Order: sequence, then C-alpha cells, then structure tokens
Amino acid sequence: MSHHSLNPEHLFYNRRKFLNRCGMGMGAVALSGLFGKALGVEAPSPSSLNPLAPRKPHFPAKAKRVIHLFMNGGPSQVDTFDPKPMLTKYNGQMLPGDYIKTERKTGAALGSPFPFRKYGQSGLEISDLFKHTAENADDMCVIRSMHANVPNHEPSLMLMNTGFERVSAPSMGAWITYGLGTDNENLPGFVALCPGGVPVVETQNWRSSFLPGAYQGTHIDTKNTEIEKLIANIKNQKVPDLYQRKQLDLIQRLNERHLEERQRDAKLEARIQSFELAYRMQMEASDAFDVEKEPDYIRDMYGRDLQGRQMLITRRLIERGVRFVQVWHGAGQPWDSHNQIEKEHGRLAGECDQAIGALLKDLRQRGLLEETLVIWGGEFGRTPTVELPTPGSNSPDTKLGRDHNHHGFSMWLAGGGVKGGTAYGATDEFGFKAQENPVHVHDLHATILRLLGFDHEHLTYRYAGRDFRLTDVEGKVLEDVIA
Amino acid sequence: MHFQTYRRIFSAIAGLAVVAMTGTAAVAAEFPPEQIEFFEKSVRPVLAENCYECHSAKTHKVGLRLDSRDRVLRGSDYHKVINLEKPEESPLLLVVRHEGAKLKLENMPKDGAKLSDKAIADLTQWVKMGLPWPEEAVDLTESKDPKDHWSYQPIQNPAPPQVKETGKLRNEIDRFVLAKLESQNLTFAPEADRRTLARRVYYDLTGLPPTYEEVERFAADKDPQAYEKLVDELLRSPHYGERWGRHWLDVARYSDTKGYEAGGRERRFIYAYTFRDWVIRSLNEDMPYDKFVLYQLAADHLVKEDSPERAHLAAMGFLTVGRRENTFEDIDDRLDVTFRGLMATTVACARCHDHKTDPVPTMDYYSLAGVFLNSEEPEEFPVVAEPADTPEYRAYLEKLAEKQKVVDDFLEPKLAVVAKENPNIANRRFQLISKLERPDRRQYENLQKVVDKFIADSRMEPDKALVLRDKESLRPLRVFIRGNPSRQGDVAPRRFLSIVAGENAPEFKEGSGRLEMAQAIVDRNNPLTSRTIVNRVWGYHFGKGIVGSPSDFGLMGDLPTHPELLDYLSTWFMDNGWSLKKLHRLIMTSAAYRQASVHPEADRYTQVDPANHFIWKMNRQRLEFEAMRDTLLLTSGQLNQDIFGRSVKLDARNEPPRRTLYAYIDRQNLDPVFNTFDFASPARHTPERPYTTIPTQALYMMNSPFVVDQARLLVARDEIQTLKDPKERVKTLYRLALSREPTADEADMALQFVSSQNDPVLEANRQTITQWQYGWGDFDPEFGTVNFRPFTRFIKDHWQPATAYPDRETFGYLALHAGGGHPDNAEAHNTVVRWTAPDDMVVNLSGVLRKPKAEGDGVRARIYSVSKGLILEKVAEPGKEASTVLKGVSVKRGETLDFVVDCMANNSHDSYTWEPEVTNAADDSQYWNYGEDYSGPGRLATPWENLAQALFCTNEFMFVD
Repeated sequence: MSHHSLNPEHLFYNRRKFLNRCGMGMGAVALSGLFGKALGVEAPSPSSLNPLAPRKPHFPAKAKRVIHLFMNGGPSQVDTFDPKPMLTKYNGQMLPGDYIKTERKTGAALGSPFPFRKYGQSGLEISDLFKHTAENADDMCVIRSMHANVPNHEPSLMLMNTGFERVSAPSMGAWITYGLGTDNENLPGFVALCPGGVPVVETQNWRSSFLPGAYQGTHIDTKNTEIEKLIANIKNQKVPDLYQRKQLDLIQRLNERHLEERQRDAKLEARIQSFELAYRMQMEASDAFDVEKEPDYIRDMYGRDLQGRQMLITRRLIERGVRFVQVWHGAGQPWDSHNQIEKEHGRLAGECDQAIGALLKDLRQRGLLEETLVIWGGEFGRTPTVELPTPGSNSPDTKLGRDHNHHGFSMWLAGGGVKGGTAYGATDEFGFKAQENPVHVHDLHATILRLLGFDHEHLTYRYAGRDFRLTDVEGKVLEDVIA
Repeated sequence: MHFQTYRRIFSAIAGLAVVAMTGTAAVAAEFPPEQIEFFEKSVRPVLAENCYECHSAKTHKVGLRLDSRDRVLRGSDYHKVINLEKPEESPLLLVVRHEGAKLKLENMPKDGAKLSDKAIADLTQWVKMGLPWPEEAVDLTESKDPKDHWSYQPIQNPAPPQVKETGKLRNEIDRFVLAKLESQNLTFAPEADRRTLARRVYYDLTGLPPTYEEVERFAADKDPQAYEKLVDELLRSPHYGERWGRHWLDVARYSDTKGYEAGGRERRFIYAYTFRDWVIRSLNEDMPYDKFVLYQLAADHLVKEDSPERAHLAAMGFLTVGRRENTFEDIDDRLDVTFRGLMATTVACARCHDHKTDPVPTMDYYSLAGVFLNSEEPEEFPVVAEPADTPEYRAYLEKLAEKQKVVDDFLEPKLAVVAKENPNIANRRFQLISKLERPDRRQYENLQKVVDKFIADSRMEPDKALVLRDKESLRPLRVFIRGNPSRQGDVAPRRFLSIVAGENAPEFKEGSGRLEMAQAIVDRNNPLTSRTIVNRVWGYHFGKGIVGSPSDFGLMGDLPTHPELLDYLSTWFMDNGWSLKKLHRLIMTSAAYRQASVHPEADRYTQVDPANHFIWKMNRQRLEFEAMRDTLLLTSGQLNQDIFGRSVKLDARNEPPRRTLYAYIDRQNLDPVFNTFDFASPARHTPERPYTTIPTQALYMMNSPFVVDQARLLVARDEIQTLKDPKERVKTLYRLALSREPTADEADMALQFVSSQNDPVLEANRQTITQWQYGWGDFDPEFGTVNFRPFTRFIKDHWQPATAYPDRETFGYLALHAGGGHPDNAEAHNTVVRWTAPDDMVVNLSGVLRKPKAEGDGVRARIYSVSKGLILEKVAEPGKEASTVLKGVSVKRGETLDFVVDCMANNSHDSYTWEPEVTNAADDSQYWNYGEDYSGPGRLATPWENLAQALFCTNEFMFVD
C-alpha cells in the first residue's frame, strides 16, 4: 500500500459532509488575551478553537517567519563579529581604565587569535571563524552593541527568550505564534531544534507559560534521524495506513451523527476538523523532516553532519510555513568557552559555520530570505580579557579562555526586512562594553516584533489582572536596523 | 490616607455615615483669590514647565501626579510628597532644593537644571499656604471610584425574584436564572434525559463515567427522588475528593517539583503529595470551607505537631508547593496564590506601583509581603503519619544515617568554626551554612545532594508536611520602590488589605500575622471570599462562572452575569456552614443544572444569547486530560482506583496505572502531553484551564502507544473475549466504552468496519506474532498443566510483570528477552515461554540452555506438554550449558508446549540464554525459533482493537452533554 494514500472519495466525503460546514464562527470564543489595538486597528483575536490559524499583524511587514540560531553558552564577540585591533595591540597587558566586573575574575587583554576580513560590497568585517556565513555579509546587519543585565547563563537565557529573567513568561516564539498563528497547520507553529537533549534552563526556553499550550515550542532532538523519534505520535505503529483511513472514516461518521443530534456546536465541529488535520500532519511532518529527499548538491552544501542536517530541516520547515524555528547549537551550553578559546571556538564554529552559510544562501536562492528573519547570537558575549582560574569554580588549569560578558556582545539579523551589509552600534575600543547606540535585549525584541508587523506595546495577553507583553514595560525599536 | 475621595464615596455607598472628612481635601475652593492668583502666576507655570513631562496625566512616574491638588496631596505610590504640618520638610521641596539624599530620594528635576531660587521660594511659599488651587472641573477619565466596584460591596442576601413559569422551578437558584431568562423572553431547555444526566453527574462529581449498568439502573429507577439520591450517593464517593481536589490543585498551582534548580540540586519537594492527599481527604469529609482555608494558610498556628490533628499541617502545601526562585519571588508567588486563589484579587500588580485599576495600593502589597517574609520553612519538616516500624524502614533509617554522616563529618567541624565566630547564630544551621567559604559550601552542597536524592528516591520516607512557621525574630519590611529591593520606601505595617479592612487597619499582633491574615480572609464580612469560592464551584459545574474571570473580581475582570444569584449563593453558603457538599447539592438539584444541552428553540436563542450567558441550556463540556485518561484506563480494565499516595510518573506504566490526579507534576519539564491537552500550568495559579483544539490532541488519540494499548486491553477483557458472536461483541464494546448499547445502525457500521479489514496477508502476519506467548508461572500438579500468566509489560524489549525493573517488591529480576531471560526465586516466579501448535503435527525440539556466569547454583529448564506433562528437564551448571533436544513430540492443533526456566535454590546470577526452536518433523522448512520470532505485543492491531480505538476517538467519548 502506498504511503498514506488519500482516497479522493474520502476527502470529498469528509470535506463535503463536515469541513465546509464547520464555520468556526459562532461560539468560537476569542482567547482570553487582548490582541491589542494598534494604529487604531484591532487585529483579529486568535480563536480558542483554532488557535494556530494564520492572522495578520498590526501593520504590513516583510518578515513572516523567524529562524533563531541560538549559540548557547555565549559566543565571544571579539572573535567573531566585532573586530578590535586595539585589543590585539594590548594583548597580554592589563587594559587601561576601570576594571569591569564580570562573573569571575579576568586578567590581561586577550587579542583574538582569529583574523578578520572584509566581506561583500558592504565590506562588513567578520572573523575567519564564520567565513562561510560571511559570504552573506550583504544580507546581514550585525548589532555590535548588545547588552543584557547579568553575567549568568540562567537569567540571561530567560531574558533573551522570554524578556523576563525570573518570572514565568512566554517565550518569544510563543508570542510570535500567538500573534501570527501559523501558515501550515499540519506542522507545529513553533519548533525548537536542539540536538542531544535540552539547553540550560531546559524547556523554559520555549515554553508558552500563561499563553495556551498550543503556542508552546515543540522540542525536537535532531540527533535522532527517524521520524517516529522526532515527533511524538506522528505514526501509529500498529495500524496500517489503509486501515487508519477506514478507522478515521468510521470516527467521522459516528461524529456526524453525534453532531446532528446536538445542533450546531463549534467545539464539536472543531474537533472533527482537527482529526482531519492530524491525519494530514502525519504525511506532512514525515516529509518535512526527511532530508534524504534533498538532492546531493544541497546536502553537500549544508554538510552531511549534525548541524548540516538540522539547518536543512530548518529550511524545510520554514519553506512549509512553520512560523518560528529556534535552532540550538546543542544541549547544555556548548559555546561557554572559559578555557582555550582558540581551540573551543574553533571547533564550535567549525561545526556550524558551513551549515549557517548554506542556510542563508539557500534561503536567498529560493526567495525565502526576504520573508524570513534570521537571528544569530547567544545569551551574552565573552570578556576581551583572559579568565583567571577561580578556586571552586571552573577547572584550576583554566587558561586562554574568556568569561561571560553581558556588558557588550554581538548578534546579527539577516533577511526579513533587515538593512543588510551594516553594523549597528559599537562597543568600546576593546570590545568590552556597549558604548555607541547600546541595544538592550528588550530593544532587540521590540525590533523583531516590528519587523514582523507588531507594535510591541500592543501585542499583549491579559493574565492575572494585567496585560503582559514580551518587552514588559521596556523596549525601543531600532529604526536604523530596518531597511 | 491615600484615597480620601475614594473612601468618601465608598462609605456613602456602603450606607455608612461620613464621620470624618479631612479638611484639606474638602475645602479646596476656600482659598482667598490672591493666593489662587499667586498659584496661577508663580507656581503652576513652574510645575508645568519642569514637572509635568513625568508627573501629569499622560505619564505619572512613581505614581506621582502634580496636576491637581488632590494628587499632590496623595503623593507617589511610595511616599507623601507634602507635609502640611512641617511644610519645609515636604519631600517635594527637599528634592527641588537638591537635598533629596536626606530621604534617599532623587533630586528634581531629574534631567534638567536645578530650579531657580525664586521658583524654589515660590513653591515653598505655596506649600506653606496649604497648596492653594482653584476648583477645577472633574477629570472625566477618572470618574469612577474603584471602590464602588461591585465585588467590594458587602454581600447581600437578595430575595429570590418572582417568575411566571413557576412550574419549572426546582429550587431558589432557578428563580434567579429563570427571571433573567424571562426578561429576555427566553426559558429553560427541557430537562435532560436520565442517561444524559447520569453521565453528567458522574463525571461532574467523580471524574469517571458511570458503567452501563449504573446508567440503566438510574434510568429505570421509579423513585421521584432518584436523581437526588444519585447526587447524594456520588457526593459520598471517595472519588468526589479526587475530582474536586484536582480542581483545587489548579487553584493551588500544585507541582511535585520546585522548578529549575541549577547545579543538579534536588528539585523534588518529596512531600507535595501529602498536601494533595490532605485536600482529597478534607473535601471527602466536607470540611467547612473557612476551616479548609485557615488550615492551608496557618495550620501551624492551629494544630500541635504532637497531636492527632497534626495531619492538617499538610494543608500548608498550598503556600509552599509553588515555584522556588528567591525570597521575594517566592513571596510574590504565595501572595498571588492566596489572593487570586481565595479572594479573586490581583495583588501582584501592586508590587511595583499602586494597582492601575483596582484599589490595591503598593503599601498593601508590602503589608502582606511582610507576613510571608516573616514565615519560613523549618529545617526539618514535621512528620504527619508515623511509618510502620518494619525491618525495611529501620534499614532505610540506618542507610540514611550512614549517608548523612558523610555530610555531617565534613560539615560539622567547619560549622563549629563559623559558630565560634558568630555566636549569635550558633544554633541556626542554615545561617551558619550560608557563612561558609564558597568552596566549602559547594562541597557541602555536592555532598548533601546525594542524601537529598536518596531521600527523594526512597519509598520508605515517612509522610511529612511542607509547613511554614513564623520566624522567631520578626523583620519589618519597607515598600520597594518600583519593586526594586535596593530602593526602599516607608515601612509597611503588617496588616490586611485596605479595600477590605479599611485604611489604617489595625496591625497584626501575633507573630508574622499569618493567622490573622487567614482569619480576615474567611471573615463573614469579607466581601470576596465566599463569592470567589461559590463562583468557582458554579464555574466547574456549568463550564462557566457567574463571573467569567474567576480569579479577578477587580475592575479588569468580567462583571457577574447574575449578581443577585451570586450573592444569594454566597450568603446561603456561609449560612450553611461553608459546606461545599451542600452547595454542590443545591446547584446540581436545580432545574438550571438539569437542563438538556440542546434547546428546542436553539436557533432563535442563539441569535439572542450566543454565549449562553443567561443559561438557557447546559453547556456541553469536554473531558479534561485527567478525565479522558482515567476513562480510557477504566474502560480497558486497567485503572487502579486506590486513593492517596505518592505521585507516579505519567509514562511509568506502573502496574496497575493510577488515576491521572496522582501523576508526577514536574513544574520545570512538564510532560508535553499535559500541555497538549490544556492542563493547568503549574507555573502559577490557574483560574481556568485554557481550551484549545489542536491536531496534536487528535494525533495522540490516533497514534499514541497509550491509547492503542488501551484499545488492545479493552478487547482483551474477558467480557469481550468470551463472546463469539460478533454482534454481541459490538454490543459489549459499546457498553464498556460508551456506557450504552449501539443502535442497530451503529452495530452494522461496526461490523462492516471489522469485516472490511480481513486482509489475508495481514492476518497471517498477526498469526506469526502470536505463535509464542511470554509469561511466568509453574507446573500445577493438580491440573497437570502449567499455570501460565502472561507478562503485561513490554519495556526496552523486555517482557516483564511490572514496570519497575528489577521489581524490588515482588518479582525481582523476572523477565524475558529475545535471547533468554531471568527467573526469580519466589514460588512460581519462573519464566514461561508458551508455543501454540498451528496444526496437528509431530515436532522436534532443539536449543541450548546457557548460564554464562560462573557464580550461583545454575538454572533448570523444563518442557511441558498439555497431553504428556513433563517431557524434558535439563540443568545448566554455572558457567556451563545444556542442550535441550527432543524428537518426535506429537501435538494437536491449539495444544501448547511450555518452556519453563527456574532458578534452582537461589536466583543470584541466574541470567540465562535459551532460544528453543520447534520444527515440523514432516517439513523442516516450517519452524518456529524463539529468538527469531521474539516480539512485543502483536505488531498490528486487530480489527476489533481498531474499532475500540475508534470509539475512544469519537466526540461522544470526549464530551459530556
């Protein structure tokens, strides 16, 4: 029997009998949140019966989808996207000026072992660590003046992902899926790819918190290659496709009788429809994760390794209309190079650079980059100074590594209405602290929402007597980052 | 104080005499014209130019507005800014004189130059005059006094209204509901039929469906009081406490874990279940609600730890099972659960500023936060039920002491040093620990982690209560400006909410004040408590509260659809001893509740009232995740209906599975299936569950191994298996899955569905799989056969009798796998592989029994046939093997051969390998090899199982009319 053959008769039967009748109108109550008014226009509220149906944002926007490449652990800005010749000059010497406090003690300046080069027509400077990514420089806007609140992973991850450091709040992906729904209801609207397990603070990174569970990120361990292991309940191991269709037809015929006796009930109708959606999702999802279907040259371009596969899955998901894909480098905090920055960052960038470069290129070639906002970064950056060994902390033989640094770090945006080939803001001459046009994480969130067509002050959800937003009571939009 | 005007109107509305009106506010118009002129010329321009950017209508930083006299007098969210007694010392003047540091205030204007000396002098003069200000038009944007809001008014006891259709009334509730319907020219739907009512009432009160027999018995009951009898019977069911206990756990944001803990520290509360069990027990005993609340907030004040009442200490889990973060986040969580949960009041908003809409000033937040700041968890939680003094328990205590000793040996000498340096805290262990050097503390934490894990993993740990106690030395709390602990304002006296207790309410006297706070919550005159619980109960019964926002009765919340009814019920509830069971009975015996969920005039009614606000029919409700899963397990005959006990992981597939209420709730990494089915997030208090319909719910029903398994187990039930007639089978399936019989039509559809799956290839495939069966047992000489019991669990490619492996309680290492297995030494705990002959034939048996390990006393293999009894016996000595060959065994079709392995005298090191093979002597291409054929539960579901699963997937299964 062929793969999930969809008998036209079945489709006709179900469509005609049910789906067209399922108006979803009457009785489909809006979710308890306010889908705020902006510019005097009230955006439609998500329906509880079909919470993932696509919706329009407050105003027209280029970016429709988001890819967030999360370099968890905190990549070093001075070794990647923020060239600092002065740091090299001071290599081995104490930096002038006040000592800047970080989590652990640091010592002398540690110049970057990685050379920077100019790329593209814009001449954006990027280090050799990301030479494949750099080929897309003219699409990238590097924000070199990011800053966060504290030099600790947990609160910084929470801040970057939810806008709050401690209290339970929805993740950015959940907010955006709440705001826009998803263009492909046969797939989860918000997917978090993380190979080998979960990052620090775990599922809080993609939770829906007080938003309905439908907006929660679906975690997929991309270390697995079998579809059954990638998505829960995507296939029934015990019922062949042919019989499952028969089974579903029986269910729907019973449901039809049940519905007829109960007058119009949007909740019953919605559930009937959800089974048809689920049936189609089995095929669609299996297909989306099957990178074997890609031609060889594409697979080679991404690289036939873990990062290559998960970036390729990312593109396949985005192409199919998934709203938000967050791609984590790995479980735990791989980019946390307290020790041996040259070796460690070299290895990490070596793992993902080719795949990221290929992803950007591939998106562009397919015309997807214009509508897809790509975000790259960690929860904070690293010190330009060398970390000193701390008793009872990291290993006593720590050397040539960098400590956490929330005072200044780099992130980049690409595609989705971003002004490409530019650098925004700057750190001080050593790359320690954001100095020119500092950008707080809240500002980044406000800007991301704007790129997607939202006024961040009006994408709200009422909870516990208050209208919550991703940006809390902060956030300013960086107009200069937007094309 | 802050709300002079509010107070005035509130008092007037409440029918109280306006006793004292502070002069300053009331005589605003009385200033001489020259003072008004001075204000207009010399003061208002200064304010407008220098202050209004941040302190007027549009923006009012720190809650301060300087654009009306009342607002200037009110001050900021944290301070007064004017002192009329000592004008010169007014904070407003200090900050413009740049002397703010005296009061730890920022100098003003913040971003501009210091005011001119003249401007400062004019402002000073103005304050000395008593703030002359002309009478100005009322600001329409603030026309309504929040204290007038309905929920803050005293609860009334309205007389039930008159109605036209008195014949439709069953009790007083109906008068309120029907009067409202009649005013819209609507009326009740007819009463639901008996079968519908049975299903509704069973689910509503127990979370489980009625059996077919129960439905029919009720339907046939001629007693006019049959319905009331049923409600009473179910209110007495122990499952009532489980069902309604879970509702309460939503309110209480129940979780078995604290949330995220870095560095591998123990996340489990360990004893959270004692709170859950206390809730179930208290509801079953119909503990008066006021007492129910008092225990949850202050049991430590109400019962002694050595008295029989100490079981009530577990109630305090209400406060303590919340998310753990740090002191002030934990306090916020406790305030939130207390006030949203018990009084539908959102105090958390006032943490950073006066509540934007509700009359909850920041001062109130910190007054109550002070109560929790002065309550702490003890170093040892009190035991609430002494464990039995068994050898196992004693062994556990010994082992625990041994493990703890490792920690103590490291810690005690270090603490002794610290204690010497800090004699004032010498006996406060927690504090001493916090003063250790970082590497020592880390070392201690790493050691303690091991002990904590040991305790949490143990099933022997006694039941303890997660209590709070008042601190010995009390600490005053100051207001945190903008919620920031490093910017502190005035001291917040510990006392109750001003909206209930009035301004300047007396301070709490006893300890932290927690008991007094609890008493103020359940005070009869508190306008919110009774209304809140009555509305919750109504909401769970009807699917929608009288107030649609059950945890927010403030100005942002919904208005009650039936305010008089809410008050009537709230008064009735208190008059009837705060009895929840009486309240359920009153609600459930009303005509309003007994309505059908369809209405003969639905089309017209839907036009008038699409959301059914007026209650012209019953709201159809979908089963929550718990009810759905419990029903599946009940239907498949698997559900363990014991009440109480430790939480068990949802996917543990323990034997037999418990009700979902007992599932282990991991706040940090909640099992995704909970989210899929709109479970109450344990992050914070849940007023009502979200309602979403998403395809992943359908995928779960269609594909999850759990649902597929329940379908298999349902069909495997004796009630089905003993039936040969397919029609009878369909009938019984319907009875078991849907508590009713199928219509003739439905039976036909079902039979057609089953017969349409007669694919010969698939059938053959199924056959192959079922040639071997896997289980345990022993030869029973009385019957001359092996007493074969199939293994029920297939985990990690092992067939085993229980989920745990090894199963320490009963089965030890007993299991089978593809290559062999392991017997246990208890009686009959031998592995049995059963082969069933597909036809009459003569077979040859072969195979090699091996016992790889050199230790132990060997294993023994025996083969039994039904007709001949024992036909072969071999022993494999330790480290050796024995061949199990036998030729020419004749078998009849359907006859079984049992391959039994036992452990001899002891079962240590008794892992063996044995892959017996059965060959048809007449045709050696036909053979059955145990290892090659080894498989889990049948690879493909049978048509009957597919039918059972289809019934599980229907809307009928999932919804209650």
